[in-house]
Amino acid sequence: MTTALAFRDLSLGYRRHRAVHRLEAEIATGSLTAVVGPNGAGKSTLLKGVVGALSPLEGHVSFDAVKREDVAYLPQRSTIERDFPLSVLELVAMGLWREIGPFGRVGRATRPRLAEAISAVGLDGLEARPIGSLSGGQVQRALFARLLLQDARLVLLDEPFTAIDARTVADLIGVVRRWHAEGRAVLAVLHDIEAVRAHFPRTLLLARELVAHGPTADVLTAANRFRAHQMCEACAGPPHTCGGDTA
Amino acid sequence: MTTRRSFLAFALTVAVLSLVAPSTARPDGPLPVVATFSILGDVLERVGGEHVAVTTLVGPNGDTHVYEPTPSDARAVRGAALLMTNGLEFEGWIDRLVDVAEFDGERVVATDGIEPIVPNEDAHHDGEENHDGDAHDDGENRDGDAHAEGRDATAADEHTERAGDEHGHGAFDPHAWHDPELVAVYADNVADALAEIDPDNASDYRNNLAAYHAELAVLDSEIEAMMAALPENRRIVVTSHDAFGYFGRAYGLTFEAPRGLSTEDEASATDVAVLIRQIRERNLPAVFIESIGDRRLLDQIARETGAVIGGTLYTGALSEPGGPAGTYLDMMRHNATTLRRALGPNQ
Amino acid sequence: MIWNAVVQPFVEFGFMRRALLGGVAISLGATPVGVFLMLRRMSLTGDAMAHAILPGAAVGYLVAGLSLGAMTVGGLVAGMTVALLSGFVTRVTRSGEDTSLAAFYLISLALGVLIVSTRGSNVDLMHVLFGTVLALDDAALALLCVIASLSLVTLALLFRPLVLECADPEFLRSVSGLSAVTHFGFLALIVLNLVGGFHALGTLMAVGIMILPAAAARFWVEGIGGLVTVAVAIAMLASLCGLLLSYHFDLPSGPAIILAAGFVYGVSLSIGPAGGLLSQALSHRRLEA
Repeated sequence: MTTALAFRDLSLGYRRHRAVHRLEAEIATGSLTAVVGPNGAGKSTLLKGVVGALSPLEGHVSFDAVKREDVAYLPQRSTIERDFPLSVLELVAMGLWREIGPFGRVGRATRPRLAEAISAVGLDGLEARPIGSLSGGQVQRALFARLLLQDARLVLLDEPFTAIDARTVADLIGVVRRWHAEGRAVLAVLHDIEAVRAHFPRTLLLARELVAHGPTADVLTAANRFRAHQMCEACAGPPHTCGGDTA
Repeated sequence: MTTRRSFLAFALTVAVLSLVAPSTARPDGPLPVVATFSILGDVLERVGGEHVAVTTLVGPNGDTHVYEPTPSDARAVRGAALLMTNGLEFEGWIDRLVDVAEFDGERVVATDGIEPIVPNEDAHHDGEENHDGDAHDDGENRDGDAHAEGRDATAADEHTERAGDEHGHGAFDPHAWHDPELVAVYADNVADALAEIDPDNASDYRNNLAAYHAELAVLDSEIEAMMAALPENRRIVVTSHDAFGYFGRAYGLTFEAPRGLSTEDEASATDVAVLIRQIRERNLPAVFIESIGDRRLLDQIARETGAVIGGTLYTGALSEPGGPAGTYLDMMRHNATTLRRALGPNQ
Repeated sequence: MIWNAVVQPFVEFGFMRRALLGGVAISLGATPVGVFLMLRRMSLTGDAMAHAILPGAAVGYLVAGLSLGAMTVGGLVAGMTVALLSGFVTRVTRSGEDTSLAAFYLISLALGVLIVSTRGSNVDLMHVLFGTVLALDDAALALLCVIASLSLVTLALLFRPLVLECADPEFLRSVSGLSAVTHFGFLALIVLNLVGGFHALGTLMAVGIMILPAAAARFWVEGIGGLVTVAVAIAMLASLCGLLLSYHFDLPSGPAIILAAGFVYGVSLSIGPAGGLLSQALSHRRLEA
């Protein structure tokens, strides 16, 4: 297995509060990994650390097979200005930024890919609609289409299915599986344990510190989950009072 | 920061100071006296001579209409034996200042005894519709707010709307100092007041007064001669400030200064158009800018009509000492010469 | 009759022609910037920046008198300093953009007032800083045209990054390093247009011509290109009507122009098809029926 990226003794946090403590783990290329854990476990923070929105307090994120620029990221709460006069097509086309740059146009080569991406997320016919008129699920589809176009080797998803209708969730999981089939690594923060069991072969259980990482069935045991809860409750204070080593 | 608030601020300062500072006993030496602006200050100095120490509130090139007094002004007024003001509502802010400073000296109003000009209230000068809401109290410009509102850009509302354009909108034209004969009256009033509060030196004051009278008389005849040389059709002066009513009355000139070109109002296209038409029709040769305020509009008018910028006139302040209008006499000579040169027949 | 009312003033008077040209230049430069300001929900930023540049221009005046160059440079420096400082503080601390901008423009304004007062000059400085569109000389007119050209070119160049920065700033940051350049470039455009605007309209009126046409255009069209076009058209119309109002009804020119724009805004708000009050009421009726 080649490593897409690795967390090397990584600690991330805000001011005095450490959200991720001394995480050591490797994400293989092409793997489909869910990141789960109790609330406040540092899952979103971890993704932000990968993408560079936060600087590590300790340790680092090591980019091996995947380059730092080759990462696509969907944040938990999209910062999209819904009132902005943007059409679905324009929103999705943002995904081509890396390729066509600030002055490029969507040309003959890229137009079919644009159409294909919109189709893949089930938004055919809605290209001209302003994004302000879309439902939550439709916006999420459009954002996934944008991710598709970014053509990244590593896709980070932060709670992509929260408050989304079931039909859309099902369709978008299809997109995730497609990425997996294409050999891209996917790291997704999720709350729905059933969805994780059903679709994600690997899981990383995080409670500020690493609890377990590996095949989903092995990780999502009752014992592990209980330990994760305990760790998070105990870790109300500074991390060095948190009990002992990880795993 | 409105004027009201800044007034309150330094009122508090003065109140505190008055508790702390010793009461100002009359020292030996020159009498501390205060004049509101530079022209009055000059007159006061000529009459008072070495017996007075004059403090002027609005300095050279200052605009008395929109002046905002400072705490140091209050201190000066407080300790003064005599305060000289112009009157005719020229200094709308002075009464407030006097109250706050608890002035208890002698108050001289320079224009006492003068027959004032009532400005021409035609459509041009009536700027009511220009002003936002309760703009100005016409007769009584005691409200310091009215002035300083114009100066106050931090209140993010009216900026180009100046509340209360005092002169021309007050009942009388206050610029009496443009007539040397009237300045003689100014000097008389001051001399009387000085003699009253400082009788020991009364004879000196009378002598100074007499000397000054002589100089004013010389000035008057000089100007009269210069103005008499102007041809009849060249006796119209276009300037940005409606301040020369008394000069015009004394020497037979007409001054045109439409609203919008003064320091307070903002121009309307009508003003500018009317003025341009006038200049074109009457073939007026020159427009004059003043030392205070914005010349850009006049430049524009001059450009379009081919009229010349005839020069700078000093309307309500002296220049710096040593400048072209460092004293009242210099100022009047400068104005007259400038007018003569631009309007004269050999132009 | 119409000719007399509308065209004749411009035929007869050079200053009217120049004023109109100045208004057109400002419309081309400032109004598109205003559209973006509005879309980014930064409309009040324009007003804050207007206050921020005042002291710079005041200092320029104190240094060099009524010199176009000095006041322009002063205004630019003050405006950009405030913009940069507040941007820096926003990125580096928890402060929101609105708070840091408010803090710095207030400091700038207070500094300006202080500097002007302690210099002892009692000239009504604020009046001097408020130009009038009726007094545009060649230099001022040239400046306005240069600013308009610069604005249009910059907006064209930065169009896509700007749209992205307005619509999804986090995404832009994640895919491009242009985010900072775009942000500050945009602020520079705001400052530049305000500085140009104050020569012609007075700073606060300049904000008016930036924001009001954009706000009005929103009720007519949706897409960005359409918004910019309609807003510029409204701005030019307001300049023309304002000047004519000033001419025929003896009103000060700056406020007349802005009120004309305000009138168009009111009409747009009422009957504009894209979210105006009337259209909302009608669609309500349709839903209920």
